[in-house]
Amino acid sequence: MDFSVVVEYFPRLLEGAWVSVQLVALSVVLGALVALPIALARISQNWWIKGFPYAYIFFFRGTPLLVQIFLVYYGASQFDVVRESILWPILREPYWCAIIAFTLNTSAYTAEIFRGAIQAIPEGEVEACKVVGMTKAQMYRRVLLPRAFGIVLPAYGNEIILMLKGSALASTITILDLTGMARTIIARTYTPIEIFLAAGGIYLVISMVIIAIFRQVEKRQNRYLGTVSIKVPDKG
Amino acid sequence: MSKAPALELIDIHKTFTDVEVLKGISLKAYDGDVISILGSSGSGKSTFLRCINLLENPTKGEIIFNGESLKLASSGRDLAAADMKQLTKMRQQIGFVFQSFNLWPHMTVLQNVMEGPAHVLKRPKQEVMDYAEHLLNKVGIADKKHMYPNQLSGGQQQRVAIARTLAMDPQVILFDEPTSALDPELVGEVLGVMRKLAEEGRTMLIVTHEMSFAKEVSSEVVFLHKGVVEEKGTPDKVFNSPDSERCRAFLSSTY
Repeated sequence: MDFSVVVEYFPRLLEGAWVSVQLVALSVVLGALVALPIALARISQNWWIKGFPYAYIFFFRGTPLLVQIFLVYYGASQFDVVRESILWPILREPYWCAIIAFTLNTSAYTAEIFRGAIQAIPEGEVEACKVVGMTKAQMYRRVLLPRAFGIVLPAYGNEIILMLKGSALASTITILDLTGMARTIIARTYTPIEIFLAAGGIYLVISMVIIAIFRQVEKRQNRYLGTVSIKVPDKG
Repeated sequence: MSKAPALELIDIHKTFTDVEVLKGISLKAYDGDVISILGSSGSGKSTFLRCINLLENPTKGEIIFNGESLKLASSGRDLAAADMKQLTKMRQQIGFVFQSFNLWPHMTVLQNVMEGPAHVLKRPKQEVMDYAEHLLNKVGIADKKHMYPNQLSGGQQQRVAIARTLAMDPQVILFDEPTSALDPELVGEVLGVMRKLAEEGRTMLIVTHEMSFAKEVSSEVVFLHKGVVEEKGTPDKVFNSPDSERCRAFLSSTY
């Protein structure tokens, strides 16, 4: 074992880590934006409205992320329409293909997390909105979404960490993220154990930072919960 | 003197899966009336109250508020609001106090009380805040206005919930067993607030198990049994000389 290679190539590993962080950050933010309308549509009672989100979530949760990446990266270029479209300069970049695949994937999971959170809000709080005469839009804006935000945090932090680990798959389409960079270095130095240990260590540090951030936000967001006591009154 | 009732319910029916919980209940509430609705568990009194502002969709019946009939259209087996605008408008003028308070836990006490008038009625912020503070003062929790609901006792939460309802300036207030989820020593403070409201001449419909309270504040008492009005009249009549055998049995077992 020769850990001097780790020292020597550490700056390159950090470069890769920065790409990984970008991939995760961008796709998580875009994914959340996509997820919100999908979650809201998924809650609907109407099959015409919830049909599409249902199929969307079913597909992206039910197939491997790697397959989704390959579908976007290798699949999209099969179509002339895509190659001739103004989006081609973006779609031929592996970086953006990864972001698109990650965004679609994480949005499906995030939509389910949002839906779970909204449906976890006690029915009584929803009724309290109804009896003051709120419209649906007011109800979501003033009560349901802010409440769901607090409920969603633990599960959502978890999803971001899963996404970070999933982002290693970006290396399969030539992206030099942390994993891709590690493999490139190993191809040159033949020191897989040292470099993969170092890469693993960096992933751990990033995960810990994400966990710490979420713990802080959660503490702030849920300060109002205090000591939670659940009372189950008799129904008359 | 023919004055129109503030709220009139005509022949309200409600069926859950295959149980007919309400079998045709009619009721008129005039301005200033305090009507207590009594009955054993399962008599349908909470369901009846919840049908008034469509928290529960009645299977059949008519709801008239301020001379205006609520437009209903059948939806499956039940009736649902045909005009959401009309329903939200009506709900803004009918207060509802829940058994389990249902305050919004992510808002402070003051924000809970201000929410309706500020964001639903869109009244000016400062005016709403002054009024909210006045109401919190009235229910005796002005000093807790910056706390969150979960930091308060049940009795305090229910008083906040009452202030939240009053903030909308409702014409009629519905109380759904407001003291049933409270520890016995906290019941008094909530009943005290309600008694004050009754004395002010507010129009109230109260589903309750607090017999002596009902006897004391009501202008009318309705006794429900198995989904029908079994006995109805002044508190004196219902409590002291009820016609119905069942009503007599109920009162002697609980009061």
